[in-house]
Amino acid sequence: MLRSGGLNPTDPLSARRRGTTRLAAALAAGLALLAILGRSSDPAARAVPSGAPLSLGAALALTGNANLYGQDQRMGIALAGRWFEAKPHPRAVQLQLEDGASDEPSAISAFNLLIRRGVVALIGPTLSQQAFAADPIAQRQGVPVVAPSNTAKGIPQIGSFISRVSAQSSVIAPLSIDEALRRAPNTQRVAVFFAQDDAYSTAETAIFQKVLAARGLKPVSVQRTQLADNDFQNPITAALQQRPQLVVISAQAVDGGNLIRQLRELGYRGQIVVGNGLNTPNIYPICQRWCDGVLIAQAYSPELNTPINRTFRRLFAEANNGRIPGQIAAQAWTAYQVLFEAVQRLQARGGLAGVTLGEARRELMQELLAGHYDTPLGPIHFRPDGEVVQGRFYVAQVRMDASGRSGRFTLVRELELGEGKP
Amino acid sequence: MIDNGLLVQMILGALLGLSVYLPMAAGQLSLATPAFYAVGGTLAALLATQGSPQASISLGAVFGEMLLAAALTAGLALLVGLPVLRLRGIYLAIATIALVEIVRVAILNLPFTGGATGIFGIPQPFQQPFGYVLLSGGLLALCGWLCQRLEASRLGRSMAAIRDDELASRCMGIQTTRVKLTAFVASAVVAGITGVIAAHYLNTWNARQGSFDVAITTLAFVILGGSRSWLGPVVGGLLLTALPELLRPVGDLRLVLFGLVILLGPVFFPQGLITPALLERIGRWKP
Amino acid sequence: MIEAVLQTLLNGAASGGVYALVALGYTLIFSVLGVINFAQGALFSLGGYLTYLLLGGKIGVNGALPGLALPVGLPFWLALLLAALGSGLIGLAVERIAFAPLRRRNAEPLLSLITSLGAGVVLVNLLQMLMGAEGYAFPQGAAVVANLPESLLIGGARIRTIQVLLLLISAVAVAALSLWLERSRSGKAMRAVAEDATTATLLGIDSEAIVRLAFLFSGMLAGLGGGLIGMSVSLAGPYFGISYGLKGLAVLVLGGLGSVPGAIVGGLVMGLAEALIPAAASGWRDALAFAILFAVLVLRPSGLLGRRQLEKV
Repeated sequence: MLRSGGLNPTDPLSARRRGTTRLAAALAAGLALLAILGRSSDPAARAVPSGAPLSLGAALALTGNANLYGQDQRMGIALAGRWFEAKPHPRAVQLQLEDGASDEPSAISAFNLLIRRGVVALIGPTLSQQAFAADPIAQRQGVPVVAPSNTAKGIPQIGSFISRVSAQSSVIAPLSIDEALRRAPNTQRVAVFFAQDDAYSTAETAIFQKVLAARGLKPVSVQRTQLADNDFQNPITAALQQRPQLVVISAQAVDGGNLIRQLRELGYRGQIVVGNGLNTPNIYPICQRWCDGVLIAQAYSPELNTPINRTFRRLFAEANNGRIPGQIAAQAWTAYQVLFEAVQRLQARGGLAGVTLGEARRELMQELLAGHYDTPLGPIHFRPDGEVVQGRFYVAQVRMDASGRSGRFTLVRELELGEGKP
Repeated sequence: MIDNGLLVQMILGALLGLSVYLPMAAGQLSLATPAFYAVGGTLAALLATQGSPQASISLGAVFGEMLLAAALTAGLALLVGLPVLRLRGIYLAIATIALVEIVRVAILNLPFTGGATGIFGIPQPFQQPFGYVLLSGGLLALCGWLCQRLEASRLGRSMAAIRDDELASRCMGIQTTRVKLTAFVASAVVAGITGVIAAHYLNTWNARQGSFDVAITTLAFVILGGSRSWLGPVVGGLLLTALPELLRPVGDLRLVLFGLVILLGPVFFPQGLITPALLERIGRWKP
Repeated sequence: MIEAVLQTLLNGAASGGVYALVALGYTLIFSVLGVINFAQGALFSLGGYLTYLLLGGKIGVNGALPGLALPVGLPFWLALLLAALGSGLIGLAVERIAFAPLRRRNAEPLLSLITSLGAGVVLVNLLQMLMGAEGYAFPQGAAVVANLPESLLIGGARIRTIQVLLLLISAVAVAALSLWLERSRSGKAMRAVAEDATTATLLGIDSEAIVRLAFLFSGMLAGLGGGLIGMSVSLAGPYFGISYGLKGLAVLVLGGLGSVPGAIVGGLVMGLAEALIPAAASGWRDALAFAILFAVLVLRPSGLLGRRQLEKV
């Protein structure tokens, strides 16, 4: 009696219980229906129609805190799309863009969505962290991925379909340290700052510190910061007590910019070397005139004087009120370019005739890895495991204009490296 | 539309909603769910990536992880719950927020949890999302059935009594501390097991999975769905997880929507979507 | 050695001043209503952005209206004051939407915790949509202190001049508030309502007006704090206010809910505790605030200077 909740079958409590049971059953049935309907037929088995355009999917961080990078990437890809579409080419290519936001579940959703729509390859995701979550899915489904901005260790090793055009940080980072030491050979005391809750910065600082050790320098102070920090009084004063002559920073644009400004305000006059997270004009409004003189190693320099880069610069300036493109946009253009050219080559030699989508994807991956490309980054090609091989790297110095409002990354050294050793 | 991947995320959302609901059914506003979710996920990630990297893992191993996660989160909840549940109202809410932050920073800083990168390459028990749908759906069905039985049980009615008036319940002889603790532990176990599934589903796990943001969104599930019945957070979780995906073009508005739900919900729809009155009507309906 | 100690004290005082400001905002509302206004952190962010706009700053490319700016920038003091006022008014709006309806219905106080959380989330994300997530530095930045050196050397310890300014302005605001509470008629009325709302009403005090005043002032404090932080370290996206808001909670509990001197002492103690964390463990800094919060709640819920809350049955 008490168990069924009341004496009378129509009393409120038992009515409620019955209602709950009925509603729960209806819900379960609805979910089951969705589950069955949602079992997507994998488009990989479908044949690729010979006339139809091929789809390239791009999953970029258009929202969330990485959206500054994502917006730049969207710009780079859009410009590349327009440029390459305008020239005659054997196979039409169309781009599908999805928002991967700045967290892992969104990147996974974006990838899944694009794969189900039958794209032949994917560009993205924006953050290395997202790549670790989403790339395995593309790998399992046999979809080629070209990452425009993942620079953490281990990304191409996720699988045979995963590649990237963004050089690994371990290749780039040492260059700026060497430049700093070249300018001040007597440097003995080095202080290191890094954002310890950022996957990229943590990996990068390990590389910086390894390079320092290889040059016989042990840091006199290693300070850990957080991405969300904006007041660095504590770590800076602690580091400055050791009187460093060189400061190495691995962080992102806003926290890194603040760190630079406060270092200078608190009286530090030595050299500052920064990592790839600060490789963006977004630091100018933060550190303003204090940004001047900061050294950074780059995988892209707008001053590279090749026809493709001049074109890229011109198109970028036209679309952005005369702004100079940064590395992120250049790498995004490059990602589109390599896929586009690989598709055209594949089409030209008949590799896309009468194949299923799954086979097309496999062929495309092989074609991609085999090619050589003349891109805004310079000439690049791929290692068999999907890692980019880039011969040319740059060291730049930030030069702010008189008002301290804007500046540029001025090229100070161009380096040819041997076959991209990590 | 709604593919299996999204469906999995919806079901996981419903489960987290249930986790927030359980202490609420005993009158406690506890926002600690993300902490136990993070613990469960981290445990699964660590266990699954022991030894050499492999792409797949047996379902049995995953069940083992779920059992261990349940034990770990239950233990933690007991440890933390005893001092914390003495607090009332606002104090309890703030204490649970503090717990979430402490756990998040701990996972971020402990040497073996992968730091900022987290742990990736977590092996998969299923090749297709459909497997996850079955696993999480089964878990949801089990939790739902248990909640339904709970409502009619002595424990359930004690919880309802405490919710109405804790002091009076104590006077009536209900062991309030024990009941509240049970609800808290149950909430932790559900969150922990959900974390295990989520870690495998997402391939990767890091400290950011259990942040204050998650506390806000899971709270929104309960507020929207209704806190008077276990079906409320389930419906709230399903809907509010699906909504941002269905409204993909809207993007940044998603969090504004969540905020509006939490802001206006208690003012205009104090009982959420699934109200007791609605359940009564459904119960009385004769086709 | 002395230098290091002095440096630590200075660091602690600088950040402690801001924490105290945030905690005071919470205290005002808690003392008259007994609830926590979770939208406080959002008002902090709002103050920062309003100050930026009033100084003539431009909305960036990622915002809703890129390039939009006031035709002329106001002097810093005026911008700060107006921004604080703006935050105060929005705080008032939050009271009308998130608190008043529940109070009218005599709902549980916990519900207003939830609604204010929602209000905070809405505010921050609206800011995000309007201004984008990029960083903004104040256009005049250190122009306020253009004649002063960038940093000051005090007994061998260095501190940025802006930080000193921040501390001074916070101290003035706190002193002004305390003075008002102590001496003025409405201030005393607020203390009366904090003590016992029903009796205060019986004595002819308009409690509703006092509540609204509390929200206005606490919003203004938050706005002031946000503007000062923006001047010191630039604005790093609307979420910065949320983290100050959470820390402010810890300070509030540490000092004792509802106690004004407690908020001040708690802020300085928290600032000092954080400054004392050695470099190697700086990753745990955020956890420290919450660990303190947790410990205080469990061991001594009334905090350092709060009153014991007795529950009448």
